[in-house]
Amino acid sequence: MRTSLPIAVAFISGLVLVVAFFFRDDSLIGSLRQEFIVWLTIIGGFTLLLGVVSIVRVSWTAVKRRKEGWFYKILTLLGVFAMAIPAVLPVSWSPLFGRSDGTIYDWLFNYMQSPMMSTMFATLAFYIASAAHRAFRARSAEATILLITACAIMLWRIPMGEAMLNMIPGDLPSWLNTYVMGGANMAVQRGIIIGAALGAASMSLRIILGIERMYMGKG
Amino acid sequence: MSFWERMEKLDRRWVYLAVGIAVIIPFILPTPLPISITTEAQSLFDAVEALPDGSNVMLVYDYYPSTIAECEPIAIAACHHLFRKNCKIITLSNIPYGGPSMAEKITRMMADQYGKTYGVDYVNLGYKYGYVAVLSGMGQSIESIFPADNSGTLLSELPLMDSVKNYEDIAFIFEIADNATADYWVSIVNAQYGVPIGCGGTAVMAPKFYAYISSGQFVGLLGGMRGAAEYEILINKQADAVKGMQAQSLVHLLIIGLVIFGNVGFFVTRSKQKRGAA
Repeated sequence: MRTSLPIAVAFISGLVLVVAFFFRDDSLIGSLRQEFIVWLTIIGGFTLLLGVVSIVRVSWTAVKRRKEGWFYKILTLLGVFAMAIPAVLPVSWSPLFGRSDGTIYDWLFNYMQSPMMSTMFATLAFYIASAAHRAFRARSAEATILLITACAIMLWRIPMGEAMLNMIPGDLPSWLNTYVMGGANMAVQRGIIIGAALGAASMSLRIILGIERMYMGKG
Repeated sequence: MSFWERMEKLDRRWVYLAVGIAVIIPFILPTPLPISITTEAQSLFDAVEALPDGSNVMLVYDYYPSTIAECEPIAIAACHHLFRKNCKIITLSNIPYGGPSMAEKITRMMADQYGKTYGVDYVNLGYKYGYVAVLSGMGQSIESIFPADNSGTLLSELPLMDSVKNYEDIAFIFEIADNATADYWVSIVNAQYGVPIGCGGTAVMAPKFYAYISSGQFVGLLGGMRGAAEYEILINKQADAVKGMQAQSLVHLLIIGLVIFGNVGFFVTRSKQKRGAA
């Protein structure tokens, strides 16, 4: 029962969503599909809640047992509660609650979370520059092609570099856009996208047919 | 140790310092640089420009706060263009991590500039879990997926949503993404419902999106800060992206310089080692 019920649910849900693709939205199966989709968003909401419960439990246990870095776990817990509680409390209690303009959540998001995330991402520029200097070497023909192409694209994407490329006869910026980005790059990206889509389709089919059971924690 | 050997083994802290200086200098000494318009940005601008005034447009904030530097200028430029054309904007986000807040902040700020009213000229649907389900479900009924807007007001109480039931009522989708959600807008919304999509994305994502440009699934593309700067120029509202391009120019040149120095150092060192071994 513990195995067959989830497989039956996955089979019926998957089958309805696949078959409904071939029917009109206002048909019975079209309506059923819409109902399943609404259920999916509701069930998904609970998985988000599960994530919050999980991070609180893990962090609280670490604090209680004074594990390494427990102080940072306190900050995590503070962050979770400081953002979540004012956001979910009813606006009728205070205009500071909720998620709209001028609320506690909005203030914390705009002046703490957002700048901190941007700062973390911005530090990548420093690491990329350092890594490019230390590791980007023309050790082989393939590496040399990659290196030259990368430098040319980086030049093309900036006004100063584009002006430099324009000094070379043959409209190099336009050539790079057409043949490198819209040609070689596009062909490779398309191959990756098609490969990933085929993989996703075959995995979905395996789940619907009950062959793939990893989502139940079983091989 | 020769100069080139020193360059190859340059301490990374000098690199960090150089990058820091390269970012700061353009803000102290701004030097406007001419920015040409790529065909992808021009196509996106033309597609929005060709929309009839007052069209319903979905503006999707599918990016995390970490990529604000690249994506926010695109969002602001898109709002300028759409509000200027009196388009009705429906915003939403598939990013739980701040997406609805960014949509709220930017759209409200731009709406105030153009004297637009919430619920009549624009609506923020907010976030709902499961982007594949959300995108599929909105094809039949937006209200069944988003019964209420981001602040909890029922859609039935918002005048704009009286005329917007599903994708049939949407003339254009302006997707701003720093992740793979853009793929689902293509495969679900464009491919199955035929709604034209224009995309603005981070420079990292832009190469992938070229595949959708040539297939016609994206009508146009804004790649990173450069794409945002192009759009700012096209709508004649030069702002943060155009300014940011100066810093980006210097950093790109610095990285290219470092790669060249590193490689010359590498070859000089290697030839010395070979000579030593011989």
